[in-house]
Amino acid sequence: MANNLNIEESPVSRLEGHGDLILDVKNKKIKKLIFRIPESPRFFEAMLVGRKYDEPSHISSRICGICSVAHTCASIKATEKALDIKPSKQTINLRKLIYHHENIQSNVLHVYFLAAPDFFGVGSVVPLAETHPEVVNIALRTKKMANDMVRIIGGRAVHPVRTVVGGFTKLPTKEEMIKMKEMLKSCYPDLEKSLEVLKTLDIPDFKRETEYISISDTSDYALYDGKIKSTDGWEIDDQNYLDKINEKVVQYSTAKHCWASRDAFMVGALARFNNNHDKLTDNAKKYAEELGLKAPCYNTFMNNIAQFVEIVQSVDDSIRLIDEILEEGLDEDKAMAEIKPKAGRGAGVVEAPRGLLIHDYTYNDKGRVEKANLIIPTGMNYANIEKDMHALVPAIIDKSEDEIKLACEMLIRAYDPCISCSTHFLNVKLVNK
Amino acid sequence: MTFAGKNNSSKNVYTRTDVRIIGFGNKYRSDDGIGIRVVEELEKLDFFKNIEIIDGGTSGTDLIFLIKGCGKLIIIDAIDAGQNTGDVVNIKADDIEEFIKKDYKRFSLHDLNLSDILKLIKALKIDTNISIIGVKPKSIDFGDKLSQEIEKKIPEIISIIKKEINI
Repeated sequence: MANNLNIEESPVSRLEGHGDLILDVKNKKIKKLIFRIPESPRFFEAMLVGRKYDEPSHISSRICGICSVAHTCASIKATEKALDIKPSKQTINLRKLIYHHENIQSNVLHVYFLAAPDFFGVGSVVPLAETHPEVVNIALRTKKMANDMVRIIGGRAVHPVRTVVGGFTKLPTKEEMIKMKEMLKSCYPDLEKSLEVLKTLDIPDFKRETEYISISDTSDYALYDGKIKSTDGWEIDDQNYLDKINEKVVQYSTAKHCWASRDAFMVGALARFNNNHDKLTDNAKKYAEELGLKAPCYNTFMNNIAQFVEIVQSVDDSIRLIDEILEEGLDEDKAMAEIKPKAGRGAGVVEAPRGLLIHDYTYNDKGRVEKANLIIPTGMNYANIEKDMHALVPAIIDKSEDEIKLACEMLIRAYDPCISCSTHFLNVKLVNK
Repeated sequence: MTFAGKNNSSKNVYTRTDVRIIGFGNKYRSDDGIGIRVVEELEKLDFFKNIEIIDGGTSGTDLIFLIKGCGKLIIIDAIDAGQNTGDVVNIKADDIEEFIKKDYKRFSLHDLNLSDILKLIKALKIDTNISIIGVKPKSIDFGDKLSQEIEKKIPEIISIIKKEINI
């Protein structure tokens, strides 16, 4: 039993991107609880200033190896909005297709490599490969498939090069589209096996209602495009994100805290599910139901399950998209839209795997960036992570210190914060006072 | 600085076309981009024609896929193995076990770290012949240029890569 706890992760160099958890409990009451990530100040914004309109998407794609398609697409959308460029429907469909596969790449990595070891009671994916090789091999096969899809469409498995402002520098061939459809179909047996494994997991029983924010669209389960929607009942055009999403600096972290209708909100797969569950394919709905995921879901730990359901959704919807693209026929004349540099401002709002991602650029009349603002999903979740910890710790205070530590780690990991933070999160020093 | 291997021979017989060279890192974080910058230089050289050269960016897990089907994999990255800033380490295939045990630091990877990936490769019993060439960076602040001290190490790294290929 832990009446008094002092958990303080040793300060770790910001180079490694680790998070700090400081938890001080006296007589079972939280005296201090701070979650901070010593994230590097966002020099990327400064690096974009002065760049020509065709450069920001390539630079942005290098911000993160896991979210490179998301940053690329957010950047492209911001530029296209600012310069009034109208990409073809074919371009948008291909972007949605490549987007699905970054979501699969990232969700696979998180569900199987980072979260699953917690549930199986092994320290990391390395012992998991010994104890549950079938789980790791399913993950590798699925990630390989997603990598190959991104490579075929974007020209590279990460940091795609063909996805540019205005469209695509090169289109996949009809034969490649057919091959991709076959690759997708071959995933289903592994998804079925994963479903059986995930059903056996003991997801912690935790509930804390909060505000869930994601993009939302009338036509599909939105990842690439849509209005910004909240479970608190509002929906706004993505260009007006500043009307609702606020940022503030907190003294103890270089990362800003965000809030909208309340003092914190959550973004990510669970937020997308809570807002858009009715747009899932029937197959993905079936998986959600079998895994006990029902909207509205207020259990943060179920974010991992929502991520898996999204893998199914992305496989299903990719097949639909390929059929649609093939039916309409790939057309080189629609590969690139006309581009005329001009002054303007635009926001590119997408769903990165770990949540809402916003790029906001202002261009001058030479087509060069004058101002850039980037809001990343992990940053939006910081405040909500702290609120969750305030709810979780008192509920488990009678457990052992090791159990409390593990529960705190699992809760933070459930958010899928930027992966370098979560893999080695909490090299905790825990000292009883 | 070279890790003292028991021997420098590779485990498998391979030809030039079986060799894969992959640079990891973030080219917008100064010296962390050394792996990518070396890859860009290799692509200009006739010596490396017929050898697969890959810009791996910051996606480390994909190393698992890149290993399969190649006789020898050479990784170039920003690594702190306890050496001085700017010093180049050449961790040969026979010394990978030691590298894994020491959990040496790789910098900007937004993914599982290199040591974990190598452990996973071992756990999955994937047969490998990997060597790593690492440089300790001076700066990994945001910026699209290498520090002068690191830039001037590129010829040394290329020379080590040629010896590693050893064909």
